[in-house]
Amino acid sequence: MSEYYRDQEHLYEIYNYFLDQVLRDEKIGPKMSRANIIIKFIYTDPDSEITIDLKNPPAKAGMYGTFYLGPCDLKEDVWSKQSADHSHRFWHGYENPIAAVTRGKVKQGGKITAMLKLLPVVKPTFKRFPQILEEMGYGDMVVNKR
Amino acid sequence: MFGNTGKIIRVDLESGRTEIVSLPEAYYRNFIGGSGLAAKYFWEHGDFSADPLSPEAMLIFMNGPLAGLRLSGASRGSVAARSPLTGNWGDSSCGGYFAPALRYAGFDGIVVTGRASSPAWLHIDEKRVTLRAADDLWGKTTSETDLALKAENGRFCRTLTIGPAGEHGVRYANIMNEAHHAFGRAGFGAVMGAKNLKAIAVNAGKPQVRLADPEKFAVLRKTLNQQVRESITSMVLGELGTAAKLEYGVCNGDVPIRNWTSSFWEEMGEALTGDALSENYLTGRKSCAFCSIACKRMVKVDDGPFAVADGPGPEYETIVAFGALLGSMDLAATCKAGRVCNELGMDTISAGATLAWATEAMDQEALSEEETAGIRLQWGDMPAYIDLLPQIARRRGPLGDLLADGSVAAARKTGDQTLAYTAHSKGLEAPMHDPRGGGHGLALAYAISPRGGCHVATTMLPMEAGACYYPEIEFDLDLEPMTDRDKPLAAVVATEIGAIENSACFCQFADREITLPQWVDLFNSVAGYDWNIRTMLRAGRRVFYLKRLLNFRYGRTAADDTLPPRMLEPARDGEPQGIQINFEEMKAAFYGLMGLDPQKGIPSRKVLEAYQLPGEARVVWDNA
Repeated sequence: MSEYYRDQEHLYEIYNYFLDQVLRDEKIGPKMSRANIIIKFIYTDPDSEITIDLKNPPAKAGMYGTFYLGPCDLKEDVWSKQSADHSHRFWHGYENPIAAVTRGKVKQGGKITAMLKLLPVVKPTFKRFPQILEEMGYGDMVVNKR
Repeated sequence: MFGNTGKIIRVDLESGRTEIVSLPEAYYRNFIGGSGLAAKYFWEHGDFSADPLSPEAMLIFMNGPLAGLRLSGASRGSVAARSPLTGNWGDSSCGGYFAPALRYAGFDGIVVTGRASSPAWLHIDEKRVTLRAADDLWGKTTSETDLALKAENGRFCRTLTIGPAGEHGVRYANIMNEAHHAFGRAGFGAVMGAKNLKAIAVNAGKPQVRLADPEKFAVLRKTLNQQVRESITSMVLGELGTAAKLEYGVCNGDVPIRNWTSSFWEEMGEALTGDALSENYLTGRKSCAFCSIACKRMVKVDDGPFAVADGPGPEYETIVAFGALLGSMDLAATCKAGRVCNELGMDTISAGATLAWATEAMDQEALSEEETAGIRLQWGDMPAYIDLLPQIARRRGPLGDLLADGSVAAARKTGDQTLAYTAHSKGLEAPMHDPRGGGHGLALAYAISPRGGCHVATTMLPMEAGACYYPEIEFDLDLEPMTDRDKPLAAVVATEIGAIENSACFCQFADREITLPQWVDLFNSVAGYDWNIRTMLRAGRRVFYLKRLLNFRYGRTAADDTLPPRMLEPARDGEPQGIQINFEEMKAAFYGLMGLDPQKGIPSRKVLEAYQLPGEARVVWDNA
C-alpha cells in the first residue's frame, strides 16, 4: 500500500505535471537531452510505467524531451524499477541513489552509465518537486526529512 | 603453510647478500598479509631510530594470501616502511602484475636494508635472487627502465621501477609497476632511491600455490568472479574509469577545487568526468592481473600543448589533483601531467597538492618570485605546472627543491602562515575527496589513519556514498554524508574492514561485491586461517592497533589525529556551504569505541592483551 499515491492515475497526474515542467526548463532540459537516451521507469505500488525519450526529437515545441505515461512501444536504453514511494522520496532529494541500488531498493538494467550522468543534472529538481506538489494542491504529500 | 608461501627474501644491499627466510605461521594468521604482515615484521625487526632515507631503513614489499589466485581484485601488493614524507609508519598498495609474479616465483615478500655502493637492481626467479649493476639504468624514466629490463629478461618479466624523482629523494616519489600501476603514496620511491636500488624484476615460475581447501576455493572463485563481473560497479568503472562519477561528486561537494577553497564548479565536473575522457582521449581499457573490471585507461592526446602518445591514462585522483585542485578543467593537461609524473616516478596526489599549496602561497604573496627564481604559478596555468614537474623530480632550482619535500615541509620552510594552505593528515597530502561534502566520517577516517590522509585505509568513503553496508554484523545504517551521525561506529567497522582489505591486498572496487561471509570463506579456503566473521574483524582491528603502536614509537600521539583548518572549516560554496564538521566529538567517540588512550592515541594495555598483542603492550606501556 503506497504511503503517498492513491492509485496509478494519481501518480500519472503528478508526474505529468512535474515532467512537463522539468523537460521545459531552460537550464535542466538541455542538459537532460544531451544524455541522448530513452529511460523507462517502472514503478510498483501502484504499478505504473513512465518512459522518457531524450533521444528522438521532442514531440512538443518548447520541450527538450518527450515522456509517456503508461506502457509505450519505445525500446528503452536503460530501465529502473522501484516502488512509487521510493521514487517520491527520491524527487525530494531524500534517497541516496547509490545506496538504493546497493540495497536492492532500485533495480536497473541497460546503459546504466548514462543514467549515472543524469544524477547531477536532475539534482536541481529536488527543490522543485515539493513546490509542484504544493502548486497542485497536494501539500500533504510533501515529505519532511527524517 | 597454505595460500602463502611462508617465505620472504631478505636483501642487504650493503653487503650484497640475499637470503630466503621463513616467517612464523602465527604472523600470517594474526596479521593477515600485506601491510599488516609488513607491520608485524617491522615491529620485530625494524630499526625505529633509522631515518627513512638512511641505509638502516627497512623497506618491505609484502603480498597478501590471495595474490595470483586468478581472482578479480586480488592481485595487489603492499609496500611499507617509515615514510620519508611523513616520518611515520607508511604503507602503499599497488595493482598490476608484480604481486602474482612474486608469488609464482615462490615468495610472499621482499625485505630490503642497506645501501648499495653503486646503482643496482634486484632480479628474482624461482632459482635465484641476484643483485645486478644498474649504472646504465640510473637516470632513466620508469618506462625506459621497464623496457630495458624486459629487453634483458623477457617480456613477461614483471618490474618495479623508480624514476628520477626516486633517485633525487623527492619525498613523494613512487614505485611503478610496468610503468602503469603505482605504489603511489608516502614516498617509497625515495627510499629505493636512497638505497641505490633502481628496480626489482621478477621472472615468475609455474604457479604452485597450496590451498587449504582447493575444491571450496574453486567454487568460491567462480562465484566471486561472476559477482564482480556482473556488478554495476564493474560496468560503470569498466566503461568510464575511476572518474565515472566525478560530476556527481562535484554536485555533492566531494571534489576539492583550487586548493580546497571551493566546493562547486559545474563546468569543471562536465569537462573532467570519465565520460569526457572516454569521448575525447580513450584508446583502450586495461586491467590488473585476472581482474574483469578493467578500470585502467589508455589515452592519447593527438596535438596541442598537452599531446601525449598512446599510453597509461589518468585515474580519478590524478584528474582532480591536476584539474580541479589547480583551477583547471583541461582534461588533456591531466593526461599529460599524469604521464609526466608516471615517467618521473612521482605520486600525482602529493604532486598536485603541493603545487596547489605553492599557487595559493604565491597568490597570497607568502612565497615571492625571489624565492622561486622568477617562477610564478597561477591557478589553471597548466603549462607552467607541467614544466615544473621535471624540476621537482630532479630538485632543480629553488622552487623545484622546495616542492620536492611535499606541501607540509615546504610550508614550514616558507613560513608557518602558509601551513593554513595545506590539506593533509599527519603530513600525507589528502586525496581528492573533500570530507565536507563527501562525508564527515571521511574527515575522521583521514585523521585516524596511521599513514595519514588516505581514502583507502578504511571503507568509510564507499560506506558514506552508500556503496556498501554490512547486514551480517548488523551494520545496516543509512549513512547521511554531511552529518556526524553514526560516524564513529561506522569508522570502527570501516577501520576493521579496511585493514582486512589492505592486508589481503584486495582492490576496494572489487571488494564491494564480496560479503563478509564470503571473505571468511576466502581466507579459510585459501590460507586455512580458520576464522569466523568475528575473528576476522578482530584480525583487522589488530592490524590497525599495531600500526598505531608503530606510529607511537615514532612519537605520534592522539594530538596527531587531526586535520588542518582548511579541511575542517565550513565550505565556502556548493552543497556543503556553511556546514561545520563536528570533528572533535566524532574523534572522542571513536576513541572510546576503540579503547584508545585519549592522550597517547594507542590502545590500553588491557585492550592490546585482549587482541593478542601482549608483547607489544609491554613495549609501549612499560616504557611509557
